[in-house]
Amino acid sequence: MPAYDVMPDIELFQPVSVEDAAELAGRLGEKGWLLAGGQDTFGWLKDRAKSPEAMIDLKGIDALKGIRETADGIEIGAFTTITEIAENPIIKTRFNLLASAAAHVASPQIRNMGTLGGNLCQDTRCWYYRRGLSCYRAGGNTCYASGPESMNREHAVFGASRCVAVSPSDTAPALVALEATMIATSANGSREIRAEDFFVGPAVDIVNMTTLQADEILVSVRIPNTWANAEFYFEKVADRNVWDFALVSIATAMKIEGGVIRDARILCGGVECVPRRLTAVENRVVGRPKNDATGDAVAALATVGAEPLHQNQFKIPLMENLVRRALRA
Amino acid sequence: MKHIGKDFTPPDIFGKVTGKAKFAEDFTAEGMVYARLWTSPMPHARVKSLDVSAALAVQGVVGVLTPDDVPQSPAPNGSILTNEPVYVGDPILAIAAVDEKTAEDALGLVKIELEPLPFAVQPTDSLRPNGPTARPEGNIFTREMGELHWNEGEVERFLAGQQPTAKAPIEWQYGDLEAGFDNASVILEESFVTPGYAHMSMEPRSVLSYWENGKCFVYGSTQSQAFIMPFLAPMVGVEPKDLVYVGEYCGGGFGSKISPYPTMALPAHFAKKIGRPVMLRITREEEYYIGSARVGFQGWIKAGFTPDGKVSAVDLYIVQDLGPKRAGGDASSAGGAVSILYQPDAVRLRSVPVMTNTTPRGPQRGPGQNQITAVFEPMMDKAARQLGIDRLEIRRLNAPDSNAKLDADQGPVTSAYMQEALTLGGKRWNWAEKSKRSGKRNGNKVTGIGVGQGYHSAGANGFDGLVRITPDGRIHLHSGVGNLGTYSYASTTRAAAEALKCDWDRCEIVHGDSSLHLPWSSYQAGSNTMFTHTRANWVAATDAVNKMKEIAATTLGGNADDYDIDGERVFQTADAGRNLTYGEAAAKAIELGGKYSGMEPPEDIHAITKLALAGVQGTGLIGVAKDTLPKRGTAPGFAIGFVEIELDLETGKHEIIDYLAVAECGTVVHPQGLAGQLRGGAVWGFGMASLERHVYDPQNGLPANVGFHQCKPPTYMDVPSETDWAATDIPDPDNPVGARGIGEPAMGAATAAVMCALSDALGGHLFNRTPVTPDLIVNHVAGVEQPFGPLDINTI
Amino acid sequence: MNARLNRRRFIKGVIASGVAATASGNWYSAVAERPKGAVERLLSINVNGRTRRVDVLPQETLCYTLRYKLGLTGTKLGCNRGECGACTVLIDDVTHYSCSMLTHSVKGRRVQTVEGLQAADGTLHPVQQAFIDELAPQCGFCTPGQLMAAVGLLKANPTPTREEARLGMSGNLCRCGSYDHYLNAVMRASGQRT
Repeated sequence: MPAYDVMPDIELFQPVSVEDAAELAGRLGEKGWLLAGGQDTFGWLKDRAKSPEAMIDLKGIDALKGIRETADGIEIGAFTTITEIAENPIIKTRFNLLASAAAHVASPQIRNMGTLGGNLCQDTRCWYYRRGLSCYRAGGNTCYASGPESMNREHAVFGASRCVAVSPSDTAPALVALEATMIATSANGSREIRAEDFFVGPAVDIVNMTTLQADEILVSVRIPNTWANAEFYFEKVADRNVWDFALVSIATAMKIEGGVIRDARILCGGVECVPRRLTAVENRVVGRPKNDATGDAVAALATVGAEPLHQNQFKIPLMENLVRRALRA
Repeated sequence: MKHIGKDFTPPDIFGKVTGKAKFAEDFTAEGMVYARLWTSPMPHARVKSLDVSAALAVQGVVGVLTPDDVPQSPAPNGSILTNEPVYVGDPILAIAAVDEKTAEDALGLVKIELEPLPFAVQPTDSLRPNGPTARPEGNIFTREMGELHWNEGEVERFLAGQQPTAKAPIEWQYGDLEAGFDNASVILEESFVTPGYAHMSMEPRSVLSYWENGKCFVYGSTQSQAFIMPFLAPMVGVEPKDLVYVGEYCGGGFGSKISPYPTMALPAHFAKKIGRPVMLRITREEEYYIGSARVGFQGWIKAGFTPDGKVSAVDLYIVQDLGPKRAGGDASSAGGAVSILYQPDAVRLRSVPVMTNTTPRGPQRGPGQNQITAVFEPMMDKAARQLGIDRLEIRRLNAPDSNAKLDADQGPVTSAYMQEALTLGGKRWNWAEKSKRSGKRNGNKVTGIGVGQGYHSAGANGFDGLVRITPDGRIHLHSGVGNLGTYSYASTTRAAAEALKCDWDRCEIVHGDSSLHLPWSSYQAGSNTMFTHTRANWVAATDAVNKMKEIAATTLGGNADDYDIDGERVFQTADAGRNLTYGEAAAKAIELGGKYSGMEPPEDIHAITKLALAGVQGTGLIGVAKDTLPKRGTAPGFAIGFVEIELDLETGKHEIIDYLAVAECGTVVHPQGLAGQLRGGAVWGFGMASLERHVYDPQNGLPANVGFHQCKPPTYMDVPSETDWAATDIPDPDNPVGARGIGEPAMGAATAAVMCALSDALGGHLFNRTPVTPDLIVNHVAGVEQPFGPLDINTI
Repeated sequence: MNARLNRRRFIKGVIASGVAATASGNWYSAVAERPKGAVERLLSINVNGRTRRVDVLPQETLCYTLRYKLGLTGTKLGCNRGECGACTVLIDDVTHYSCSMLTHSVKGRRVQTVEGLQAADGTLHPVQQAFIDELAPQCGFCTPGQLMAAVGLLKANPTPTREEARLGMSGNLCRCGSYDHYLNAVMRASGQRT
């Protein structure tokens, strides 16, 4: 087979309004491809592993860029660049968890080009799937990654259902931690989706990683003030410090009053097809001080129910270690 | 010295910083078309049928090249295109079109029916009884192909890391192994794995070719320049005189672009077939397929140490992963490196060179030497600890000096000063103080200290130099050396300038294009160029000097011996007023003809130099000579790395806090260039120690890593932002300017140092494999068993 | 062992049949009835201060346009996947991978490539001169990208710390490992190293 490297003929639309974009998305349906920063898109198209008939370039829609304050928080246009999010003073001041996660995405140039919407909607990096093999996620009837000799060091330890791929997004766990909501628009109107519900695993939909429908456009992300100025912790462990996806990442938001944790949201990336919320840990830390003893007491809860594949057992101690670090005073 | 040891501005750097430098893919030619490849999706298969009719019908497609259109080489050599692909990515056919998109559109319409054949991507799978062989001709390659299988017990024993009992087709030994072990008070037995991984030059090996007036023009990407000619010419079907090869810039090779490779000849054949210039751009994915990789090692070592810390005996057993084509030599080189670095009384090397259906292998920066130092240097630490000897000291007391012997034949070296180098480095890095930090805890972090050594033979001889002085007084230094990024094509010509005692601004380096008349050169690999071509340039310049003296004597009277040179004049020693400028001497040379203007080539120069000479004869005073200077042994290149790391026990990540590289490579010729090699080599070493990988799925033979992000070469943020370097700067007696080479040991030293530091941080001797990735550390600290056996490959 | 080998055989079979489908498959099925209203192919782009009129396919990347249509081959194609930085150019002074953006997305924006660094009289840009002084390049293939990353960095932050420079340059791979020397050059160009 050819090592394809050049995109085939594809139509390109560059709408400047959300309405026009939504109309195009509705008209093209599955044949259309929503294009944001393109940092995931162009690989698929150059590999000719996905072959839409048309791209709808959304970066010309100014209304979908920028960060603005709302009555109860902020709203981020879906096509705001990752660099802007990492450097934005409001985000850095109030929701630094997101700024920190954004600063860990890929490389400076990719952060300059890539958008929040693209980072959230990017497809999984399972290398078997990316090679264009006909696996479950690609509409086939097998998973190459879960075999007894498969190369699955980077794959899921939770929530596998035929497919064992993981979510590659650095910003997704942060946004779930912040109880963000996503606004999706189509020609038929808009809907608001809780970040936690926005990402879906293979048991729900084995082909798509979000609940977005083919005619829907992610137009913005809203972050309520619920977690503003909380104590945040973000860490990403990857093989390389640039251009890499998390082996495991952690994003936490905690409210601490009177020396004890009053409320907490604790998420891990890189361990499941969706950002994994560590609910058992969240529940157990409430009422305890943020310190090593609490970390040691709750770390094991993070991985209850984990089902490692033959090469990724390390994600279990790594997750537990990251929970300890997040809880360190 | 006027030039040696001083920085200068290599002329090609202007092109590099302005974008004017033309790499192969930057050239165009009138009517050029673009070729793209159809490569094998299977690790081993046979083409049963091939239908390109639909592809050829696509508008804009100009032609197709199939295996039937190109010469076929017998196994295990690679062919340009093949009907029996032996790895995923092996090229089967090419299509040319008016642009790449059209060529790819057409490739999608090619119908190829493949019959899958048995395959193996792990050497031990192939070695099992009835195991699959990578090729029908067999599964091992020594001088020729053969078939070898072990019994199940031998395979299992080997995979369990126990002393191998199976037959090894390659074996050499010197000294009395048994006596060596008898004299040892510490005997270490370790098994190890160092998987191969891709070279990943930044420039994929793109090629442009066309034919004009019976000559074949090739614009390629190779480390070497003149060395390419006699090998590429038959590959494209011409005599060297009818080949024009332009390789002015090469975007990295690291051993993967030493000689012409099969695909390099593809555009020439295609251009001939369709009558148009053909550009073959190689994509990053294709570069992973055809761009070669390091030979993988799975092995076992037994090493004995006397009570006073001397290495007494080493028994080394290595299963090599050769990929599907001609490769190997790494294991023997590994044995050679052990023999020189530690000067053991006895060494035995046994090797099983197994072919697999993975990417073709070839030499990669320190092939063999750098795999084994990664494994053996941590063993030196282990022995030092058991014997209560300081880790730097145990290296010093085994270190080679100028009486050192090496390899199976225990031959001599030109010189070696490793004790001095270790002492220099120890002082500069402050080993005495820093080594006390070993194992120091700072929260979750622990400090590791390492010192590592690297070696490669670093100098050849017998190549040619060509220097031309024109009547305008300009000095043209013809360099057949390829431009692989080390600036050695330029820095070696400084030896000629030194011999001519001329100003550098009078000199012009002629290089990068065979039509510019370039002398025969060694390949630019094996760290040899600095030693080899300072010699060749020196002898050519000396020839020019001698000729000028003779011309002066003829013109001004007296004997040649009465004359000397300086200030770009040849003058009578007794009366400096009687002199000729170099320009005047050149004009006289043209007048006199004969040997003076290159009309009478010396008999012993290479045919390529004779071709070059034919192009410049009569244009000035010609200095041309073959290097016949004495060389009394192997010219060794050594490096030492000192490293401090901080290892995070919770994430498994480490940071390199401090690194010093020490070069033991004779006189420093070009300080900035040497610094670049030492630092760049260190980056390679850091990559091998903890990042870079090469993984195949044994279930289906698919490579998991065909992109940078999957293979993980180090980035700015994975290496220290500042590293230090030093050099012994002690001249080698067998080089006229004192120089030896360094490129490869610079890497091995760093790999070994980091491997030692990682073990040191964890307070023991661990892992015995590269790369040591965070998951290995996390598992180790958590007490979780690693999910693979000691000799397994394809583990990450 | 048996289970493993059986699994292996099974997956081999799947690969083999999957390949047959790929080899004869027709992703290239003629696209019927494309929607109207797509982009114009002829466009004007501003490269190195000059307006260039060029015929651009809808899916064409900026790197492709620069190299193959405008002859600006200083911009290198090292991976074509945004994983190496050799194709780095400035768009409105900000670093971008030209291999991973559409030429159609730079309408009305300023593109600067390595060819646009030298002054009209041939004087080298201070970053170019610093690269020479520090012998920053080795093989030189990543150098144009490193230059543009350095120029972009210094436009945003004229006197970076070495650590800021390291982070700013970190989207550019150098396989020769010349990182030290490139950083030395950035510090020199910013007047912080002599």
